Amino acid sequence: MKNTFTQSMAWLHTWAGLIFGWLLFAIFVTGTLAVFDKELDHWMQPEIPATEVPQADAARRAIAYLQAHEPQAGNWGISLPSERSPGLRVSTGERRHGPTVQLDPRTGEAIEVRDSVGGNFFFRFHFTLDLPRNWGIFVVGALALVMLAALVTGIVIHKKIFKEFFTFRPNKGQRSWLDFHNASAVLLLPFHLMITYTGLVIFMLIYIPAGVDALFAGDNRAYFQAQGNTRLEQPRGLARQPAALVDVAPLLAQAEARLGPIGGLNIRNPNTAAARIEIRPGLGNRIALGKGQAMVFDGVSGQLLGDVAEWRAAPLTQRVMAGLHFAQFGGYPMRWLYFVCGLVSCLMIASGLVLFCVKRGRKYASAEASVRRWYRVAEVCNVGFVSGLLLACVGLLWASRVLPVELAQRESWEVRAFFGVWLLALLHAGIRPVRRAWVEQLLLTAFLCIGLGALGGLGDAMRLGVVACALVLGVLLGLLAWRVWQAQWVPQKARAGRRMEAGA
Amino acid sequence: MMMWVMGSVLFAYAGMLGLCQGLERHYKQVWNRTCPPVLRVGLRAAGWLALLASLVLCALAWGWAMGPVAWFAVMSLAGMVLVLLLPYWPRLAVGLVAAVPVWGLMLL
Repeated sequence: MKNTFTQSMAWLHTWAGLIFGWLLFAIFVTGTLAVFDKELDHWMQPEIPATEVPQADAARRAIAYLQAHEPQAGNWGISLPSERSPGLRVSTGERRHGPTVQLDPRTGEAIEVRDSVGGNFFFRFHFTLDLPRNWGIFVVGALALVMLAALVTGIVIHKKIFKEFFTFRPNKGQRSWLDFHNASAVLLLPFHLMITYTGLVIFMLIYIPAGVDALFAGDNRAYFQAQGNTRLEQPRGLARQPAALVDVAPLLAQAEARLGPIGGLNIRNPNTAAARIEIRPGLGNRIALGKGQAMVFDGVSGQLLGDVAEWRAAPLTQRVMAGLHFAQFGGYPMRWLYFVCGLVSCLMIASGLVLFCVKRGRKYASAEASVRRWYRVAEVCNVGFVSGLLLACVGLLWASRVLPVELAQRESWEVRAFFGVWLLALLHAGIRPVRRAWVEQLLLTAFLCIGLGALGGLGDAMRLGVVACALVLGVLLGLLAWRVWQAQWVPQKARAGRRMEAGA
Repeated sequence: MMMWVMGSVLFAYAGMLGLCQGLERHYKQVWNRTCPPVLRVGLRAAGWLALLASLVLCALAWGWAMGPVAWFAVMSLAGMVLVLLLPYWPRLAVGLVAAVPVWGLMLL
């Protein structure tokens, strides 16, 4: 056992950081990319036109399409074009589970769009690691707890938080890695703590269900209804009487005046006397995450039946924390702040992983073979889980454009491409000398990022933004690869020089 | 809004720079001499004031609910930029503060 409190904290920080850092890096990278999930969606599906059609016109066209093709459906879902997502989507069936059709918002005609997991893959991977949903949520929750522990132990073992607040000494080997790890962790500590803790709070009911179990016999729906999210009862008989649907444009205007920008609407029992129109706000109108909220109107008279519920203090707290994590508020400037903070978090984790190996490199070089083998495993995993994951992420973007459009089950091939590239990167790291592996993978990632523009998508501002951002990241990764390559030759040259001296 | 956002970033940088230069080690790193005690107190005070100004600008840009969230982010990121610039181009790191009066002129 370790002697002092600080020593045991350092031990925990080192080993938990190494073993779980590999997956935490993947979670942070995909979470950072998920900040721009809709933009990536848009880039990955080039068939969707970028247009600015007023929401009321788009809604009318969507309803006209549904009247022509699905007049008998029990529920119509419409996602309206918005600043970040210019597509118009209609669906039938309950809660987005029905078949979905993409429409051209200018004409209301259906358009053929390639199947693609889109930026949504990064979002889903971020909280499930692509495992079955609930398993994934538990694994990621456990990793988030490790992250919190790593942050707290990191604070304990960092003795000069304020003295070295602004300290970074480059070109000093291990010293520099530690300085960078410390500076990026300390300066962004509010972000690290916030993002990790609020990540846990989102799935509070899954991780700690005792409260709902005790008070609502485990019935989550009863719990949500007690918060005021009651669903209005549908009068049964009226659903069989035909009736004309009211014009949605004035209702949208009324809802927008009350809620801010609108995300979409649901029409239950359309074309009957029981028609209900539920209008959802966009997610970013306030910090609190407004998922599941809607204003309800009578679909025949247009009368307002139900307003959005005011949350009480406890649910509001949870919603605000979830909203802080989802980063849907504050528009593009806030989104960029989250994105760059996320990038620094990724660098912080990666620098910690590299530091582990840098610190032990010399010690293990003279150790016995079995110890050296474990050290080699850590090195290989570092390459495969850091640069390999970056390669897999950009590989997914390439797959979305390169795979044939008519491929059956195209989405699962994209996911296979992601994991395939990742696996290949791990194998590549296993057979190459470690520095070479770093340089080659970083360089390949850089080229793929820079070359993203060659795949098209220069047509509109949003897609151009994705390409430009990839270009900048690619250039930075290229510089990083160059730096690693440069650093490789210095010690070897020195060693060669020494050998010559010895020979002479 | 973009002007307020830019201003909040610049003032956060100026604030972090003031606090940084108020430390003996980093003053020496840039100017190669020790810092007079009066100047050190002045730099620190100016640093805190600039950070407060950054908070007000964030609130002007985003409102008082979202503003503080953005404030933490701009402070952290400004600090990060400063830390990475300081060892490579120390004079540039200090000179960047000139962007604050330029921003002030643009505001007028």
